[in-house]
Amino acid sequence: MTAEVPETTETAVRDRHQLRTLAVAVTTISAMLCGVVITILYAVSLNRLWFLHFPLGFYLLAQGLLIFAVFVTFWYVRVQERIDHTRSVNEDVV
Amino acid sequence: MRTPSRHRTPNPHLGAYYGIITAAFVSLAVLLAIAEQLGWSDGAIARSMILLPLALYLFIAAGSRTLDVEDFFASGRRVPPVYNALLLAATAVGGIGFFAYTGALFFLGFDGLAIGLGWTAGFLLAGVLFVPYLRKAGAYTLPAFLGQRFNSRFARTTSSAMQVVPTALLLAAEIKIAAAVIAVFLPMSFWLAVLLVAVLVAATGILGGMRSLTWTGSAEFIAGAVGLVVTLIVVSVLLTNLPAPQFTYSEMFGSLQGAETAAGMAPLKPGVLVPPLPATAPMQAVKPFMQSFGAINEPGFIVLFFAFALGTAALPSLLARSGVTSSVADQRRSTAWALALVALFVITAPSLAVFAKLLMFRDMALAPTAGLPAWLSTLEAWQLVQTSDLNGDGLIGPGELFIARDGVALALPVLARLPYVLTALMAAAGLAIALAAAGSHLFTLAASLADDIYGVLDRTPIALPRLMAAWAAIAACALATAVFLFIAEVDALRSAVTAFSFAAATFFPVLLLAIWWPRCTVWGALASLGTGFVVMVLAVTVGGLFGVAETAVGTGLAALVAALLAACAGIGASLYGPAPTAGEMAYYEEMRKPEGEAIFDLAQRRATPAAAQED
Repeated sequence: MTAEVPETTETAVRDRHQLRTLAVAVTTISAMLCGVVITILYAVSLNRLWFLHFPLGFYLLAQGLLIFAVFVTFWYVRVQERIDHTRSVNEDVV
Repeated sequence: MRTPSRHRTPNPHLGAYYGIITAAFVSLAVLLAIAEQLGWSDGAIARSMILLPLALYLFIAAGSRTLDVEDFFASGRRVPPVYNALLLAATAVGGIGFFAYTGALFFLGFDGLAIGLGWTAGFLLAGVLFVPYLRKAGAYTLPAFLGQRFNSRFARTTSSAMQVVPTALLLAAEIKIAAAVIAVFLPMSFWLAVLLVAVLVAATGILGGMRSLTWTGSAEFIAGAVGLVVTLIVVSVLLTNLPAPQFTYSEMFGSLQGAETAAGMAPLKPGVLVPPLPATAPMQAVKPFMQSFGAINEPGFIVLFFAFALGTAALPSLLARSGVTSSVADQRRSTAWALALVALFVITAPSLAVFAKLLMFRDMALAPTAGLPAWLSTLEAWQLVQTSDLNGDGLIGPGELFIARDGVALALPVLARLPYVLTALMAAAGLAIALAAAGSHLFTLAASLADDIYGVLDRTPIALPRLMAAWAAIAACALATAVFLFIAEVDALRSAVTAFSFAAATFFPVLLLAIWWPRCTVWGALASLGTGFVVMVLAVTVGGLFGVAETAVGTGLAALVAALLAACAGIGASLYGPAPTAGEMAYYEEMRKPEGEAIFDLAQRRATPAAAQED
């Protein structure tokens, strides 16, 4: 009975880590892919607006979404490292 | 006593070394600029600008030679994240990006952005979905990971055979581009240049494998970035008075539209037949740069984007570098840096296309009054531009210009009437990037053939035969690619589309299932691999006869359909076949743990004392 408790806790730590990892992965990827698809679908309309002398639809596809991808990726790296660190600390406690 | 490499730390002097290399490259360009003013011939400048950096790359490769298996296949697992990112970015972009992608933007303008966007999103997908887990697994190659994940030698050898298609296509394209650059600037034929490039790339791989590739590739990336950035900044200052080409080319849109109108380019109407990707032979530019979805419509743009994104994420040459940093966190950071570098290139590339197109057609529009521009004869001699008096009026107008897609980047300094040294610098930059990418593809191909096929047949854990197999495989692959280039006509961009499509269809679904779904079994993995590969082969061969995968968008669509079918086949075979074994589940759980040593290294460590005991 006593041997089961740590195992259950360890499983809970692992499951929580995997769930949070999945959530941050889905958030990161869907943010990028939805951004790209929506911009492509509305690019012609967006091109009527201007930003930094660029038509907005062109700007987003040529620069805006790429800059967004860089920020999203570095945000993901930071969040995922925190999630991994939490798992390591919790496993040490268990 | 020799310290095991996993305990070694990165060389603390790397920053100083690469600072010196950068300074040496810049100094060479400055010295040659002075020499040009002193009357050196163009040939001497080109030879110095191209051959001296080549000697430097060989020197670095010789300095990082190794006989250690871990160094040879995984660069000792101690490459700092940013240095790994340099080579990842060079491998993804390569000479294809430097010359063919910028040329595609010249012809397609807005519609060509799908490719660059796909490369960038692919790095995001790889960094989130695959790379950290491949680092934890620690396998030297992608097929080795699949073999270890499912404890299956058959899965390993099968996937090794399947990765030949995308990797060899990219290798051939990169060697062809590098050879074409050399043939323009050095006094040798294209075929001799192919041999020279193949020997150079093979020598780098043989000397130190992944280790020499890492340090040579980092220097090559720096040379490529310096050459591209310096030339574009100079052109930007000349045209807009500001040294930021990424932002200033928008000021040229009005002038560009005027030049395009003068050249007879009108917005394409739906239904007008234009090749979705320009071919390698010289052709007329017919599409205005800013017209959106003129050659590729919205669905085609989305298809091409997803094909390149999934292909980049699952490209064996990029994933083979997933085990070279010291930890899972470092590998993740490395992918993020690589994404930033690729994004910077993709943001910069349209400025090159806009500047080149503006300069070319503005000068040609003035030709009836001012005479033909001086650059025309130079570019014709290099076979980057052809003219044809189509209307028979005895004059060459802007609409009678045929431009080689892969020569636009090389043409820019000539079009801007810059000193010849900047043309040679641009050539050296593109050559460096193409060599770095070719080295990565060659090593990935050869390492897999040696380690996943020879290694599976001969499992004796003796270092030398394993390295000898890798050396032989590198030499054989380089030779085979050179022979292939002698007999086949390779279009770099078309090869890239096919290669990325094969990677997307064959490896993306199986990696997704193997890493993110514990229920995936060896039967599911094999079903996924087989379905994706076979559907792609059928689409390219049999489908080509019926126009299914004839165009780039068609090939991309075939890849997405194949990937979907492969995922379904993998899920179905896993669910309806035998359940995963305890060993597979244990491997999965260990792979998902972010901490701890690489699974492969642990297994090696356990195997070594056992083998010693048996002896």
